[in-house]
Amino acid sequence: MASIKILIVDDSITIRRIITNALKTVGFTDTIEASNGKEALEKLTSGKIDFIITDWNMPEMNGLDLIKEIRTNSVHSNMPILMITTRGTEHDVVEALQAKVNSYIMKPFTPQELKEKIDGILKTVQVSTE
Amino acid sequence: MNQQEVEKVLQKAAEVKVFCEYGQRTIPVLDDIAGFLNEISPAIEDLKAVLEVAMVNIPKAAGQLGRVTEATEQASTQILNTLDKMVATLDQVITSVSTGMVSSDLGVATNKMAEIVKTLVEKSGWDSDIVELAEAWAAHLRSIKMSGTTSDLERLLKELQDDCTEIMMALQVQDITQQHIGTVMGTIQAVAEELRKLTTGFFSAPTTQAVSIDLPLPNDSEVVGDMERKKMVETLLSKARAGEL
Repeated sequence: MASIKILIVDDSITIRRIITNALKTVGFTDTIEASNGKEALEKLTSGKIDFIITDWNMPEMNGLDLIKEIRTNSVHSNMPILMITTRGTEHDVVEALQAKVNSYIMKPFTPQELKEKIDGILKTVQVSTE
Repeated sequence: MNQQEVEKVLQKAAEVKVFCEYGQRTIPVLDDIAGFLNEISPAIEDLKAVLEVAMVNIPKAAGQLGRVTEATEQASTQILNTLDKMVATLDQVITSVSTGMVSSDLGVATNKMAEIVKTLVEKSGWDSDIVELAEAWAAHLRSIKMSGTTSDLERLLKELQDDCTEIMMALQVQDITQQHIGTVMGTIQAVAEELRKLTTGFFSAPTTQAVSIDLPLPNDSEVVGDMERKKMVETLLSKARAGEL
């Protein structure tokens, strides 16, 4: 498996640790963390990041605004982004898709579900860039 | 007194009569209203007292929910710390066990050595030193046969590591409950705010605004189970991929 660097964005330290550990168990060991969208944007500009996993509800800048910012203003507009959230109404999913999130996963998730989502996104991104 | 003045007096008398008749009809109603006000006055006082208590207790309840969130977050962090240590220790043990297995897995060489020892014993005519060597070799072989158990041990340790991961993943419940508690706290605070407006409006100064409680209603994701929600999300994602959304 090619090594990719994943940025985990969540205001809960517990969830960041859980995602980090879950990723480790399925082979993704290179991760960094941010506690909100604003911090994520700073990390994005300061280092090489291949993939973003973000929560929705966060202070300062929420996940949805982060995605919109990346898609419209950033040089990283094609960055693969997976949203992990407790929000699961049709309206929420549609709103996230309209913001151009690559995929969406509900909490609670398993490491395997996480891996499948990441692999699925990477496959799609690879196909679209070929 | 002339005719005109008499008519004037009669007109006034008629007005007084009408007023008296009206009074006869309205006085009982006014009596009823006064009675009703007398009756509800203690009830209004009671309601005011209840609202005053609620205004103290509701923020207290919101505070208690906040402390529940803090406590579960602390507990989750402690559990995660312990699990991290356990996983790291298990990693070390698994590495030691598998290294031990490799060194004891002598395969063909072991069998060849066993043959040589057996021949030596026979050729030596059961020399005591050679027999002692053979016994030591037999003990060594028994330890080699332990490799099956060692393999089971490695499997069991990996299972323990998987269990640790499962516990870790289950701790997501902390974040989920935190978000739900946050919603409940928002609702409680909204109720408290509306009660505050009601008490100041009704019991103190007249309010010009209509009192309405606009509470967040539970959305459909909160009334179905995790699996159902996940299915719903996956269906929507598939529709989006197919351009149906």
